[in-house]
Amino acid sequence: MEAVYIDKNIDLVNGCRSGDRKAQFELYKLYEKAMYSAALRIVNHEVEAEDVLQEAFLDAFTRIGDFRGDTTFGLWLKQIIINKSINCLRKRRAEFVSMDGIEIAEAKADDHEELQWKVEEVKAAVRRLPDGYRVVLTLYLFEGYDHEEISHILKISEVTSRSQLMRAKMKLKNMLEKTGGRDEFRN
Amino acid sequence: MSLEIEDFIKQHKKEFDTDRPSLNMWDRIEKELDQKKPKKSFNIQLWMSIAASAIVILALTFFYVSPVKKAKLSIADVSPAYANRQVRFASLIEEKRDSLQIFAEVNPELYKKFNRDLETLNLAYDSLRKQLPASPNQKLIVKAMVRNLEAQLQLVSQQLSIIVEVTEFKKENRI
Repeated sequence: MEAVYIDKNIDLVNGCRSGDRKAQFELYKLYEKAMYSAALRIVNHEVEAEDVLQEAFLDAFTRIGDFRGDTTFGLWLKQIIINKSINCLRKRRAEFVSMDGIEIAEAKADDHEELQWKVEEVKAAVRRLPDGYRVVLTLYLFEGYDHEEISHILKISEVTSRSQLMRAKMKLKNMLEKTGGRDEFRN
Repeated sequence: MSLEIEDFIKQHKKEFDTDRPSLNMWDRIEKELDQKKPKKSFNIQLWMSIAASAIVILALTFFYVSPVKKAKLSIADVSPAYANRQVRFASLIEEKRDSLQIFAEVNPELYKKFNRDLETLNLAYDSLRKQLPASPNQKLIVKAMVRNLEAQLQLVSQQLSIIVEVTEFKKENRI
């Protein structure tokens, strides 16, 4: 069944279609943080993330005619952001497959209580992940892509996508343990 | 274990989206938008000129083609029903004028007079026919044309009966 999206920004989007600068600004303000954060998570570089953001908004505003409204404007814009961010990484010749010496068996030894993570600590740890881990983890956990979609976008196999995600999560957890990035709490 | 970090991220997605670009980011976007605009308006001009030339071509073909079309316009183009009546009246008129001509030799003076009367109606008919193509109300003109023919027919019929009577009278007088 086809999903029906109700875009609450329909008036602003229509304003954009007629080139209304105020509507464009309103949409920019609405999505500025979410889009910049998404770009930053993938490219991991402030200046490059800003370039991605600028290009993506410019593309969205000039090609608003291509937006058919079968998703929300936010999802459409996010797709542009993600594509541009990955292209940016490609230009940097980033490896989408990262390997390091994490032993998978090591993780099973851990048996912790419920933990409370801190957003800022997790964010910082994600930024310290190698490109390959970070991109797969970001696309999967933050952007909600599945392994099939990730394999298409990054041109890697689904198996690689799965193993990259697993290693990324392990590495993240290791880093957070080392930096004390979580507070334990008990009910 | 790894499920925890997954759930945590999913539950706090919004809180991760707090990074902000430089304050001048909108100015950068706006500047680029302004630069792209002249390109767009050039396109509009291009399309306008294409549309304008299309209109000119259409207008020219309209003026060149339509007079030819209009010159050929007949009653049938305006109203098939009137066309039928026109054909019927015209053939009846033709028939009666032929009979009239038979009596012409006996009454040349009378025939000349009759012909003059018919000619006035005929001239009126011709001027109506010339008006037809350019008329804004063609139906009205066609109606008038058919009425004219009807009048011609009545006239010819009366002329015929008069000339027949006159001829009979002359015959009787001769006897």
